Amino acid sequence: MEVFIAQVINGLSLGSIYVLLVTGFNLLLLVAMIIHFSFPIVVVFSMYIAWIVLGLTGNNLFLGISAGIVSAILLNIITAPMFQHIMKKRGEVDINSTMVLSMGLGMIITDFLSHSINKGFPIAFPDALTGRAEGAFLKIGIISMSRGAFLALIVGIIFVLGLFWILYKTKQGRAFRAIAEDPNGAKLVGLPILKTGFQSYALTGFLGGSTAILMAILLGSASPGLGDQLGHKVLAVSIIAGLGNLKGGLIVGLSLGILEALVQGYWTGTWSNAVAFVIMLIAILVKPKGLFGMKL
Amino acid sequence: MSLPLYYYLAITSIYILMTWALYLPYRVAHLHFMVVANMAISGYFGGYAATQWGWPFGLALLVGIAIGAFISFLVSFGIGDAPTFAVVIVGFTFIYITKTAIENWDVIGGTMGMFGIPVVKNLLLYVYIFVLITGFFIYRFDNSRLGRAASAKFVDRDLATSFGVNTKYLGMFLQTWAGAIGGACGVFYAFLMNSLFPDFFTFHIIGTTMTMLFLGGYTTLWGPLLAAPILWGLPLILPTGVASWKQIIYGIILIVILLLRPEGAVTRKFLRKLQVKLKLVKMA
Repeated sequence: MEVFIAQVINGLSLGSIYVLLVTGFNLLLLVAMIIHFSFPIVVVFSMYIAWIVLGLTGNNLFLGISAGIVSAILLNIITAPMFQHIMKKRGEVDINSTMVLSMGLGMIITDFLSHSINKGFPIAFPDALTGRAEGAFLKIGIISMSRGAFLALIVGIIFVLGLFWILYKTKQGRAFRAIAEDPNGAKLVGLPILKTGFQSYALTGFLGGSTAILMAILLGSASPGLGDQLGHKVLAVSIIAGLGNLKGGLIVGLSLGILEALVQGYWTGTWSNAVAFVIMLIAILVKPKGLFGMKL
Repeated sequence: MSLPLYYYLAITSIYILMTWALYLPYRVAHLHFMVVANMAISGYFGGYAATQWGWPFGLALLVGIAIGAFISFLVSFGIGDAPTFAVVIVGFTFIYITKTAIENWDVIGGTMGMFGIPVVKNLLLYVYIFVLITGFFIYRFDNSRLGRAASAKFVDRDLATSFGVNTKYLGMFLQTWAGAIGGACGVFYAFLMNSLFPDFFTFHIIGTTMTMLFLGGYTTLWGPLLAAPILWGLPLILPTGVASWKQIIYGIILIVILLLRPEGAVTRKFLRKLQVKLKLVKMA
Protein backbone atom coordinates (compact mmCIF):
# COMPACT_ATOMS: atom_id res chain seq x y z
CA MET A 1 0.00 0.00 0.00
CA GLU A 2 2.90 2.34 0.83
CA VAL A 3 4.36 1.81 -2.66
CA PHE A 4 0.98 2.70 -4.13
CA ILE A 5 0.70 5.92 -2.10
CA ALA A 6 4.31 6.88 -2.90
CA GLN A 7 3.74 6.35 -6.61
CA VAL A 8 0.46 8.31 -6.55
CA ILE A 9 2.29 11.26 -4.95
CA ASN A 10 5.09 11.03 -7.54
CA GLY A 11 2.45 10.76 -10.24
CA LEU A 12 0.74 13.92 -9.04
CA SER A 13 4.03 15.85 -9.44
CA LEU A 14 4.53 14.47 -12.95
CA GLY A 15 0.85 15.00 -13.73
CA SER A 16 1.01 18.66 -12.70
CA ILE A 17 3.76 19.13 -15.32
CA TYR A 18 1.54 17.49 -17.95
CA VAL A 19 -1.34 19.72 -16.88
CA LEU A 20 0.79 22.86 -17.36
CA LEU A 21 1.91 21.68 -20.78
CA VAL A 22 -1.58 20.66 -21.86
CA THR A 23 -3.08 23.93 -20.60
CA GLY A 24 -0.53 25.95 -22.60
CA PHE A 25 -1.19 23.79 -25.65
CA ASN A 26 -4.97 24.16 -25.28
CA LEU A 27 -4.73 27.91 -24.73
CA LEU A 28 -2.88 28.32 -28.03
CA LEU A 29 -5.42 26.07 -29.68
CA LEU A 30 -8.39 27.99 -28.34
CA VAL A 31 -7.20 31.56 -28.70
CA ALA A 32 -4.58 31.53 -31.46
CA MET A 33 -6.33 28.57 -33.16
CA ILE A 34 -3.13 26.70 -33.82
CA ILE A 35 -2.20 23.11 -33.05
CA HIS A 36 1.25 23.84 -31.61
CA PHE A 37 2.46 20.27 -31.56
CA SER A 38 6.00 21.41 -30.76
CA PHE A 39 5.07 23.51 -27.74
CA PRO A 40 6.77 20.93 -25.44
CA ILE A 41 9.86 21.11 -27.68
CA VAL A 42 9.96 24.87 -27.02
CA VAL A 43 9.82 23.97 -23.30
CA VAL A 44 12.80 21.62 -23.67
CA PHE A 45 14.65 24.36 -25.59
CA SER A 46 14.11 26.65 -22.59
CA MET A 47 15.50 23.96 -20.29
CA TYR A 48 18.66 23.98 -22.40
CA ILE A 49 18.89 27.80 -22.27
CA ALA A 50 18.51 27.72 -18.48
CA TRP A 51 21.26 25.06 -18.32
CA ILE A 52 23.62 27.16 -20.47
CA VAL A 53 23.04 30.32 -18.41
CA LEU A 54 23.44 28.40 -15.13
CA GLY A 55 26.77 27.10 -16.43
CA LEU A 56 27.94 30.51 -17.59
CA THR A 57 26.99 32.34 -14.39
CA GLY A 58 28.33 29.79 -11.90
CA ASN A 59 24.84 28.45 -11.07
CA ASN A 60 23.18 31.82 -10.49
CA LEU A 61 19.62 30.56 -10.00
CA PHE A 62 17.91 33.90 -10.61
CA LEU A 63 19.62 34.40 -13.97
CA GLY A 64 19.22 30.76 -15.00
CA ILE A 65 15.50 30.65 -14.20
CA SER A 66 14.89 34.07 -15.80
CA ALA A 67 16.74 33.04 -18.97
CA GLY A 68 14.66 29.87 -19.23
CA ILE A 69 11.36 31.74 -18.89
CA VAL A 70 12.35 34.67 -21.14
CA SER A 71 13.64 32.34 -23.89
CA ALA A 72 10.29 30.52 -24.06
CA ILE A 73 8.35 33.80 -24.24
CA LEU A 74 10.69 35.14 -26.96
CA LEU A 75 10.63 31.96 -29.01
CA ASN A 76 6.83 31.85 -28.85
CA ILE A 77 6.52 35.52 -29.87
CA ILE A 78 9.16 35.28 -32.64
CA THR A 79 7.43 32.29 -34.22
CA ALA A 80 3.92 33.73 -33.79
CA PRO A 81 3.90 35.70 -37.10
CA MET A 82 4.45 32.45 -39.05
CA PHE A 83 1.38 30.89 -37.48
CA GLN A 84 -0.61 34.14 -37.85
CA HIS A 85 0.35 34.22 -41.55
CA ILE A 86 -1.20 30.80 -42.06
CA MET A 87 -4.25 31.64 -39.98
CA LYS A 88 -4.90 34.74 -42.11
CA LYS A 89 -5.31 32.39 -45.07
CA ARG A 90 -7.72 30.11 -43.25
CA GLY A 91 -10.05 30.16 -46.22
CA GLU A 92 -7.41 28.41 -48.32
CA VAL A 93 -5.50 26.44 -45.70
CA ASP A 94 -6.83 24.15 -43.00
CA ILE A 95 -5.92 24.25 -39.30
CA ASN A 96 -3.79 21.11 -39.78
CA SER A 97 -1.23 23.23 -41.61
CA THR A 98 -0.41 24.91 -38.30
CA MET A 99 0.36 21.48 -36.88
CA VAL A 100 2.68 20.69 -39.80
CA LEU A 101 4.33 24.10 -39.42
CA SER A 102 4.81 23.42 -35.73
CA MET A 103 6.32 20.01 -36.55
CA GLY A 104 8.79 21.75 -38.90
CA LEU A 105 9.73 24.09 -36.08
CA GLY A 106 10.15 21.09 -33.79
CA MET A 107 12.46 19.37 -36.32
CA ILE A 108 14.69 22.46 -36.39
CA ILE A 109 14.87 22.90 -32.60
CA THR A 110 15.43 19.19 -31.88
CA ASP A 111 18.16 18.86 -34.50
CA PHE A 112 19.78 22.08 -33.30
CA LEU A 113 19.86 20.76 -29.72
CA SER A 114 21.24 17.38 -30.78
CA HIS A 115 24.02 18.98 -32.85
CA SER A 116 25.03 22.11 -30.99
CA ILE A 117 24.60 21.82 -27.25
CA ASN A 118 26.71 19.46 -25.14
CA LYS A 119 27.57 17.56 -28.38
CA GLY A 120 24.05 16.13 -28.38
CA PHE A 121 24.52 14.32 -25.05
CA PRO A 122 21.86 14.68 -22.35
CA ILE A 123 22.39 17.58 -19.96
CA ALA A 124 22.28 17.37 -16.14
CA PHE A 125 21.13 20.30 -14.04
CA PRO A 126 23.23 21.36 -11.05
CA ASP A 127 22.29 20.33 -7.50
CA ALA A 128 21.82 24.02 -6.68
CA LEU A 129 18.66 23.92 -8.82
CA THR A 130 17.44 20.38 -8.31
CA GLY A 131 18.26 19.98 -4.62
CA ARG A 132 19.30 16.36 -5.22
CA ALA A 133 22.17 16.62 -2.75
CA GLU A 134 19.72 17.38 0.06
CA GLY A 135 18.05 13.97 -0.23
CA ALA A 136 14.34 13.43 0.45
CA PHE A 137 12.33 16.53 1.35
CA LEU A 138 9.50 14.55 2.95
CA LYS A 139 9.86 11.02 4.29
CA ILE A 140 7.19 8.87 5.93
CA GLY A 141 8.11 5.17 5.95
CA ILE A 142 9.06 4.25 2.40
CA ILE A 143 7.07 7.21 1.09
CA SER A 144 9.56 9.94 0.23
CA MET A 145 9.35 13.05 -1.86
CA SER A 146 12.22 15.06 -3.31
CA ARG A 147 12.26 18.84 -3.13
CA GLY A 148 11.82 18.90 -6.93
CA ALA A 149 8.72 16.73 -6.85
CA PHE A 150 7.24 18.78 -4.01
CA LEU A 151 7.98 22.07 -5.79
CA ALA A 152 6.61 20.78 -9.10
CA LEU A 153 3.40 19.74 -7.37
CA ILE A 154 2.88 22.96 -5.40
CA VAL A 155 3.98 25.40 -8.12
CA GLY A 156 2.10 23.36 -10.72
CA ILE A 157 -1.13 23.64 -8.70
CA ILE A 158 -0.57 27.40 -8.14
CA PHE A 159 0.10 28.01 -11.83
CA VAL A 160 -2.90 26.01 -13.00
CA LEU A 161 -5.14 27.84 -10.48
CA GLY A 162 -3.62 31.17 -11.58
CA LEU A 163 -4.19 30.39 -15.22
CA PHE A 164 -7.79 29.35 -14.62
CA TRP A 165 -8.26 32.57 -12.60
CA ILE A 166 -6.93 34.63 -15.52
CA LEU A 167 -9.15 32.77 -17.96
CA TYR A 168 -12.35 32.87 -15.94
CA LYS A 169 -12.08 35.94 -13.70
CA THR A 170 -10.26 38.64 -15.66
CA LYS A 171 -11.20 40.84 -18.64
CA GLN A 172 -8.30 39.46 -20.65
CA GLY A 173 -9.40 35.92 -19.87
CA ARG A 174 -12.91 36.75 -21.10
CA ALA A 175 -11.37 38.04 -24.33
CA PHE A 176 -9.44 34.78 -24.71
CA ARG A 177 -12.55 32.71 -24.14
CA ALA A 178 -14.70 34.91 -26.39
CA ILE A 179 -12.30 34.40 -29.29
CA ALA A 180 -12.19 30.68 -28.55
CA GLU A 181 -15.98 30.48 -28.50
CA ASP A 182 -16.76 32.58 -31.56
CA PRO A 183 -13.94 34.37 -33.42
CA ASN A 184 -16.31 36.23 -35.75
CA GLY A 185 -18.58 37.35 -32.91
CA ALA A 186 -15.54 38.50 -30.92
CA LYS A 187 -14.35 40.52 -33.91
CA LEU A 188 -17.80 42.11 -34.28
CA VAL A 189 -17.79 43.36 -30.69
CA GLY A 190 -14.39 44.94 -31.27
CA LEU A 191 -11.97 42.46 -29.76
CA PRO A 192 -8.54 42.67 -31.43
CA ILE A 193 -8.11 39.11 -32.70
CA LEU A 194 -4.43 39.30 -33.71
CA LYS A 195 -3.36 41.25 -30.60
CA THR A 196 -5.18 38.85 -28.28
CA GLY A 197 -3.62 35.99 -30.22
CA PHE A 198 -0.15 37.46 -29.59
CA GLN A 199 -0.98 37.86 -25.89
CA SER A 200 -1.87 34.20 -25.75
CA TYR A 201 1.55 33.37 -27.29
CA ALA A 202 3.26 35.47 -24.60
CA LEU A 203 1.18 33.92 -21.80
CA THR A 204 1.82 30.38 -23.01
CA GLY A 205 5.50 31.29 -23.44
CA PHE A 206 5.60 32.27 -19.77
CA LEU A 207 3.78 29.09 -18.86
CA GLY A 208 6.17 27.05 -21.01
CA GLY A 209 9.27 28.70 -19.52
CA SER A 210 8.02 28.12 -15.97
CA THR A 211 7.23 24.49 -16.83
CA ALA A 212 10.77 24.14 -18.21
CA ILE A 213 12.22 25.17 -14.85
CA LEU A 214 9.88 22.85 -12.95
CA MET A 215 10.84 19.99 -15.26
CA ALA A 216 14.53 20.76 -14.76
CA ILE A 217 13.97 20.57 -10.99
CA LEU A 218 11.81 17.44 -11.16
CA LEU A 219 13.74 15.42 -13.77
CA GLY A 220 17.23 16.81 -13.13
CA SER A 221 18.22 16.22 -16.74
CA ALA A 222 17.08 16.73 -20.34
CA SER A 223 17.87 15.37 -23.77
CA PRO A 224 17.03 16.56 -27.31
CA GLY A 225 14.51 13.71 -27.74
CA LEU A 226 12.57 14.68 -24.58
CA GLY A 227 10.52 17.27 -26.46
CA ASP A 228 9.29 14.76 -29.05
CA GLN A 229 8.13 12.36 -26.38
CA LEU A 230 6.45 15.12 -24.37
CA GLY A 231 4.84 16.57 -27.49
CA HIS A 232 3.39 13.20 -28.21
CA LYS A 233 2.01 12.80 -24.69
CA VAL A 234 0.62 16.32 -24.51
CA LEU A 235 -1.27 15.90 -27.79
CA ALA A 236 -2.50 12.50 -26.60
CA VAL A 237 -3.72 13.93 -23.26
CA SER A 238 -5.37 16.78 -25.08
CA ILE A 239 -7.16 14.44 -27.48
CA ILE A 240 -8.24 12.01 -24.74
CA ALA A 241 -9.59 14.95 -22.71
CA GLY A 242 -11.18 16.54 -25.79
CA LEU A 243 -9.18 19.14 -27.75
CA GLY A 244 -9.37 22.55 -26.14
CA ASN A 245 -11.13 21.27 -23.02
CA LEU A 246 -9.15 22.90 -20.19
CA LYS A 247 -10.88 21.11 -17.33
CA GLY A 248 -10.66 17.78 -19.15
CA GLY A 249 -6.94 18.41 -19.70
CA LEU A 250 -6.52 18.94 -15.96
CA ILE A 251 -8.14 15.60 -15.10
CA VAL A 252 -6.50 13.54 -17.86
CA GLY A 253 -3.07 15.17 -17.34
CA LEU A 254 -3.05 14.29 -13.64
CA SER A 255 -4.40 10.80 -14.40
CA LEU A 256 -1.63 10.15 -16.95
CA GLY A 257 1.00 11.25 -14.44
CA ILE A 258 -0.40 8.88 -11.81
CA LEU A 259 -0.78 6.05 -14.33
CA GLU A 260 2.83 6.40 -15.50
CA ALA A 261 4.14 6.52 -11.93
CA LEU A 262 2.13 3.43 -10.99
CA VAL A 263 3.31 1.50 -14.05
CA GLN A 264 6.91 2.47 -13.28
CA GLY A 265 6.42 1.44 -9.65
CA TYR A 266 5.19 -2.04 -10.47
CA TRP A 267 6.71 -2.67 -13.91
CA THR A 268 10.37 -1.91 -14.47
CA GLY A 269 12.30 -1.48 -17.72
CA THR A 270 11.57 0.27 -20.99
CA TRP A 271 8.20 -1.49 -21.29
CA SER A 272 6.73 0.75 -18.58
CA ASN A 273 6.49 3.74 -20.93
CA ALA A 274 4.99 1.56 -23.65
CA VAL A 275 2.23 0.41 -21.27
CA ALA A 276 1.14 4.02 -20.76
CA PHE A 277 1.18 4.51 -24.54
CA VAL A 278 -0.93 1.39 -25.12
CA ILE A 279 -3.55 2.67 -22.67
CA MET A 280 -3.49 6.08 -24.39
CA LEU A 281 -3.84 4.37 -27.77
CA ILE A 282 -6.87 2.36 -26.65
CA ALA A 283 -8.50 5.50 -25.23
CA ILE A 284 -7.99 7.39 -28.52
CA LEU A 285 -9.17 4.49 -30.68
CA VAL A 286 -12.30 4.01 -28.59
CA LYS A 287 -13.11 7.71 -28.25
CA PRO A 288 -11.19 9.73 -30.89
CA LYS A 289 -13.17 12.89 -30.07
CA GLY A 290 -12.25 12.85 -26.38
CA LEU A 291 -13.80 11.85 -23.06
CA PHE A 292 -15.01 15.34 -22.09
CA GLY A 293 -15.88 16.70 -25.52
CA MET A 294 -14.03 19.03 -27.86
CA LYS A 295 -14.24 22.78 -27.29
CA LEU A 296 -13.34 23.82 -30.83
CA MET B 1 26.01 1.05 -62.21
CA SER B 2 28.05 2.52 -59.35
CA LEU B 3 27.07 1.54 -55.83
CA PRO B 4 26.23 5.12 -54.63
CA LEU B 5 23.98 5.63 -57.68
CA TYR B 6 22.30 2.26 -57.05
CA TYR B 7 21.54 3.17 -53.43
CA TYR B 8 20.45 6.69 -54.39
CA LEU B 9 17.95 5.34 -56.93
CA ALA B 10 16.69 2.59 -54.64
CA ILE B 11 16.30 4.73 -51.50
CA THR B 12 14.73 7.55 -53.49
CA SER B 13 12.12 5.18 -54.90
CA ILE B 14 11.38 3.80 -51.41
CA TYR B 15 10.88 7.39 -50.22
CA ILE B 16 8.59 8.08 -53.19
CA LEU B 17 6.49 5.10 -52.07
CA MET B 18 6.52 6.22 -48.44
CA THR B 19 5.48 9.72 -49.43
CA TRP B 20 2.64 8.26 -51.51
CA ALA B 21 1.69 6.24 -48.44
CA LEU B 22 1.30 9.58 -46.63
CA TYR B 23 -0.30 11.24 -49.66
CA LEU B 24 -3.18 8.76 -49.97
CA PRO B 25 -4.75 9.25 -46.50
CA TYR B 26 -3.96 12.97 -46.70
CA ARG B 27 -6.41 13.09 -49.61
CA VAL B 28 -9.04 12.95 -46.83
CA ALA B 29 -6.93 15.19 -44.51
CA HIS B 30 -5.46 12.30 -42.49
CA LEU B 31 -1.75 12.52 -41.64
CA HIS B 32 -1.35 8.77 -41.25
CA PHE B 33 2.12 8.41 -39.72
CA MET B 34 1.30 4.83 -38.83
CA VAL B 35 2.81 3.84 -42.18
CA VAL B 36 6.24 4.17 -40.51
CA ALA B 37 5.20 1.54 -37.96
CA ASN B 38 3.86 -0.62 -40.84
CA MET B 39 7.24 -0.24 -42.56
CA ALA B 40 9.07 -1.38 -39.42
CA ILE B 41 6.77 -4.35 -38.69
CA SER B 42 6.76 -5.68 -42.26
CA GLY B 43 10.48 -4.99 -42.71
CA TYR B 44 11.36 -6.98 -39.61
CA PHE B 45 8.91 -9.71 -40.55
CA GLY B 46 10.39 -9.98 -44.06
CA GLY B 47 13.93 -10.02 -42.71
CA TYR B 48 13.09 -12.66 -40.10
CA ALA B 49 11.20 -14.84 -42.60
CA ALA B 50 14.12 -14.73 -45.05
CA THR B 51 16.87 -15.39 -42.52
CA GLN B 52 15.13 -17.93 -40.27
CA TRP B 53 12.60 -19.68 -42.50
CA GLY B 54 14.40 -19.24 -45.82
CA TRP B 55 11.45 -17.46 -47.46
CA PRO B 56 12.12 -16.05 -50.94
CA PHE B 57 11.93 -12.28 -51.41
CA GLY B 58 8.64 -12.42 -53.38
CA LEU B 59 6.79 -14.29 -50.66
CA ALA B 60 8.21 -12.04 -47.92
CA LEU B 61 7.10 -8.99 -49.93
CA LEU B 62 3.55 -10.29 -50.44
CA VAL B 63 3.11 -11.25 -46.78
CA GLY B 64 4.74 -7.96 -45.69
CA ILE B 65 2.19 -6.04 -47.78
CA ALA B 66 -0.65 -8.12 -46.34
CA ILE B 67 0.54 -7.52 -42.75
CA GLY B 68 0.82 -3.76 -43.33
CA ALA B 69 -2.65 -3.64 -44.87
CA PHE B 70 -4.19 -5.84 -42.17
CA ILE B 71 -2.84 -3.83 -39.23
CA SER B 72 -3.88 -0.54 -40.82
CA PHE B 73 -7.29 -2.00 -41.62
CA LEU B 74 -7.86 -3.05 -38.01
CA VAL B 75 -6.77 0.35 -36.67
CA SER B 76 -8.87 2.16 -39.29
CA PHE B 77 -12.02 0.90 -37.54
CA GLY B 78 -11.10 3.36 -34.79
CA ILE B 79 -9.68 6.24 -36.82
CA GLY B 80 -11.19 5.84 -40.30
CA ASP B 81 -13.24 8.96 -39.76
CA ALA B 82 -11.37 10.51 -36.82
CA PRO B 83 -10.09 14.11 -36.79
CA THR B 84 -6.58 14.61 -38.23
CA PHE B 85 -4.92 15.16 -34.85
CA ALA B 86 -6.29 11.86 -33.54
CA VAL B 87 -4.90 10.07 -36.62
CA VAL B 88 -1.53 11.78 -36.06
CA ILE B 89 -1.31 10.75 -32.43
CA VAL B 90 -2.34 7.16 -33.14
CA GLY B 91 0.48 7.03 -35.71
CA PHE B 92 3.04 8.39 -33.25
CA THR B 93 1.85 6.02 -30.54
CA PHE B 94 2.11 3.02 -32.85
CA ILE B 95 5.63 4.01 -33.87
CA TYR B 96 6.65 4.32 -30.24
CA ILE B 97 5.09 0.99 -29.23
CA THR B 98 6.57 -0.80 -32.28
CA LYS B 99 10.04 0.59 -31.59
CA THR B 100 9.86 -0.39 -27.91
CA ALA B 101 8.71 -3.92 -28.85
CA ILE B 102 11.53 -4.32 -31.41
CA GLU B 103 14.15 -3.04 -28.96
CA ASN B 104 13.02 -5.48 -26.29
CA TRP B 105 12.70 -8.52 -28.54
CA ASP B 106 16.01 -10.38 -28.67
CA VAL B 107 14.78 -12.88 -31.31
CA ILE B 108 14.89 -10.11 -33.93
CA GLY B 109 18.11 -8.57 -32.64
CA GLY B 110 16.77 -6.08 -30.09
CA THR B 111 18.67 -2.81 -29.96
CA MET B 112 21.63 -4.40 -31.82
CA GLY B 113 19.57 -4.81 -34.99
CA MET B 114 18.96 -7.62 -37.46
CA PHE B 115 21.71 -8.77 -39.82
CA GLY B 116 22.25 -11.24 -42.65
CA ILE B 117 19.15 -10.49 -44.71
CA PRO B 118 19.96 -12.01 -48.11
CA VAL B 119 20.89 -9.97 -51.18
CA VAL B 120 18.26 -9.95 -53.95
CA LYS B 121 19.29 -9.73 -57.57
CA ASN B 122 17.48 -7.05 -59.59
CA LEU B 123 15.98 -5.51 -56.44
CA LEU B 124 16.11 -2.05 -58.02
CA LEU B 125 14.03 -3.31 -60.93
CA TYR B 126 11.43 -4.78 -58.56
CA VAL B 127 11.23 -1.53 -56.61
CA TYR B 128 10.70 0.49 -59.80
CA ILE B 129 8.06 -1.94 -61.07
CA PHE B 130 6.29 -1.52 -57.72
CA VAL B 131 6.57 2.28 -58.00
CA LEU B 132 5.05 2.17 -61.50
CA ILE B 133 2.19 -0.11 -60.45
CA THR B 134 1.44 1.95 -57.33
CA GLY B 135 1.65 5.20 -59.30
CA PHE B 136 -0.73 3.82 -61.91
CA PHE B 137 -3.32 2.83 -59.32
CA ILE B 138 -3.02 6.16 -57.49
CA TYR B 139 -3.47 7.97 -60.82
CA ARG B 140 -6.58 5.90 -61.53
CA PHE B 141 -7.86 6.58 -58.01
CA ASP B 142 -7.27 10.33 -58.29
CA ASN B 143 -9.30 10.46 -61.51
CA SER B 144 -12.11 8.26 -60.27
CA ARG B 145 -15.33 9.01 -58.40
CA LEU B 146 -13.64 7.90 -55.19
CA GLY B 147 -10.80 10.36 -55.79
CA ARG B 148 -13.28 13.20 -56.27
CA ALA B 149 -15.10 12.07 -53.12
CA ALA B 150 -11.78 12.26 -51.26
CA SER B 151 -11.20 15.79 -52.58
CA ALA B 152 -14.69 16.77 -51.42
CA LYS B 153 -14.01 15.36 -47.96
CA PHE B 154 -10.70 17.23 -47.75
CA VAL B 155 -12.43 20.54 -48.48
CA ASP B 156 -15.62 20.04 -46.48
CA ARG B 157 -16.51 16.88 -44.61
CA ASP B 158 -20.17 17.83 -44.15
CA LEU B 159 -20.54 18.65 -47.84
CA ALA B 160 -19.04 15.30 -48.80
CA THR B 161 -21.41 13.51 -46.42
CA SER B 162 -24.41 15.36 -47.86
CA PHE B 163 -23.36 14.16 -51.34
CA GLY B 164 -23.59 10.61 -50.05
CA VAL B 165 -19.87 9.96 -49.51
CA ASN B 166 -19.26 7.41 -46.79
CA THR B 167 -16.33 9.22 -45.20
CA LYS B 168 -15.58 6.41 -42.74
CA TYR B 169 -15.23 3.71 -45.42
CA LEU B 170 -13.24 6.07 -47.63
CA GLY B 171 -10.84 6.83 -44.77
CA MET B 172 -10.56 3.12 -43.93
CA PHE B 173 -9.84 2.23 -47.56
CA LEU B 174 -7.11 4.85 -47.92
CA GLN B 175 -5.49 4.00 -44.58
CA THR B 176 -5.44 0.30 -45.48
CA TRP B 177 -3.91 1.04 -48.88
CA ALA B 178 -1.30 3.28 -47.26
CA GLY B 179 -0.51 0.53 -44.73
CA ALA B 180 0.06 -1.93 -47.60
CA ILE B 181 2.50 0.48 -49.29
CA GLY B 182 4.25 1.09 -45.95
CA GLY B 183 4.60 -2.70 -45.51
CA ALA B 184 6.10 -3.06 -48.99
CA CYS B 185 8.58 -0.25 -48.25
CA GLY B 186 9.70 -2.07 -45.10
CA VAL B 187 10.44 -5.31 -47.00
CA PHE B 188 12.19 -3.44 -49.84
CA TYR B 189 14.30 -1.51 -47.32
CA ALA B 190 15.22 -4.68 -45.38
CA PHE B 191 16.41 -6.47 -48.53
CA LEU B 192 18.17 -3.38 -49.84
CA MET B 193 20.21 -2.68 -46.70
CA ASN B 194 20.52 -6.38 -45.69
CA SER B 195 20.18 -5.26 -42.06
CA LEU B 196 17.65 -3.41 -39.90
CA PHE B 197 17.98 -1.21 -36.82
CA PRO B 198 15.13 0.00 -34.60
CA ASP B 199 16.60 3.51 -34.53
CA PHE B 200 15.87 3.91 -38.24
CA PHE B 201 12.11 3.74 -37.72
CA THR B 202 11.74 6.95 -35.77
CA PHE B 203 10.49 10.46 -36.19
CA HIS B 204 13.15 11.47 -38.72
CA ILE B 205 11.36 9.36 -41.40
CA ILE B 206 8.20 11.30 -40.60
CA GLY B 207 10.08 14.60 -40.94
CA THR B 208 11.63 13.57 -44.25
CA THR B 209 8.49 12.15 -45.87
CA MET B 210 6.33 14.99 -44.58
CA THR B 211 8.73 17.54 -46.10
CA MET B 212 8.66 15.59 -49.39
CA LEU B 213 4.86 15.59 -49.37
CA PHE B 214 4.42 19.27 -48.60
CA LEU B 215 7.29 20.47 -50.81
CA GLY B 216 6.16 18.41 -53.79
CA GLY B 217 2.51 19.16 -53.19
CA TYR B 218 -0.18 17.15 -51.45
CA THR B 219 -2.86 17.59 -54.09
CA THR B 220 -1.34 15.47 -56.87
CA LEU B 221 0.69 12.26 -56.98
CA TRP B 222 3.39 13.99 -59.06
CA GLY B 223 4.61 16.14 -56.17
CA PRO B 224 6.30 13.31 -54.21
CA LEU B 225 7.81 12.03 -57.47
CA LEU B 226 9.53 15.38 -57.90
CA ALA B 227 10.38 16.17 -54.28
CA ALA B 228 11.81 12.81 -53.12
CA PRO B 229 14.82 12.71 -55.50
CA ILE B 230 15.58 16.41 -54.88
CA LEU B 231 15.33 16.27 -51.09
CA TRP B 232 17.16 12.96 -50.76
CA GLY B 233 19.83 14.12 -53.19
CA LEU B 234 20.31 17.54 -51.58
CA PRO B 235 22.44 16.38 -48.60
CA LEU B 236 24.53 14.26 -50.99
CA ILE B 237 25.71 17.27 -52.98
CA LEU B 238 26.18 19.55 -49.96
CA PRO B 239 29.51 19.65 -48.05
CA THR B 240 29.60 17.01 -45.26
CA GLY B 241 29.55 19.66 -42.53
CA VAL B 242 26.31 21.14 -43.89
CA ALA B 243 24.73 17.80 -44.86
CA SER B 244 24.81 16.61 -41.24
CA TRP B 245 22.24 19.35 -40.53
CA LYS B 246 19.81 17.58 -42.89
CA GLN B 247 16.80 17.68 -40.55
CA ILE B 248 17.24 21.42 -39.95
CA ILE B 249 17.40 21.98 -43.72
CA TYR B 250 14.23 19.90 -44.17
CA GLY B 251 12.52 21.79 -41.34
CA ILE B 252 13.36 25.16 -42.92
CA ILE B 253 12.17 23.98 -46.36
CA LEU B 254 8.94 22.71 -44.81
CA ILE B 255 8.24 26.01 -43.06
CA VAL B 256 9.13 28.14 -46.09
CA ILE B 257 6.94 26.11 -48.44
CA LEU B 258 4.01 26.23 -46.01
CA LEU B 259 4.31 30.01 -45.76
CA LEU B 260 4.90 30.77 -49.43
CA ARG B 261 3.12 27.99 -51.31
CA PRO B 262 0.90 26.05 -48.89
CA GLU B 263 -0.23 23.49 -51.47
CA GLY B 264 3.36 22.69 -52.52
CA ALA B 265 5.24 22.97 -55.81
CA VAL B 266 3.06 20.79 -58.05
CA THR B 267 -0.58 21.76 -57.61
CA ARG B 268 -3.62 20.87 -59.72
CA LYS B 269 -3.73 24.45 -60.98
CA PHE B 270 -0.08 24.19 -62.02
CA LEU B 271 -0.79 20.93 -63.89
CA ARG B 272 -3.77 22.49 -65.73
CA LYS B 273 -1.59 25.44 -66.81
CA LEU B 274 1.12 23.04 -67.93
CA GLN B 275 -1.41 21.05 -69.97
CA VAL B 276 -2.63 24.21 -71.71
CA LYS B 277 0.95 25.27 -72.49
CA LEU B 278 1.79 21.86 -73.89
CA LYS B 279 -1.31 21.97 -76.11
CA LEU B 280 -0.30 25.41 -77.39
CA VAL B 281 3.22 24.18 -78.16
CA LYS B 282 1.77 21.20 -80.04
CA MET B 283 -0.58 23.43 -82.04
CA ALA B 284 2.29 25.79 -82.92
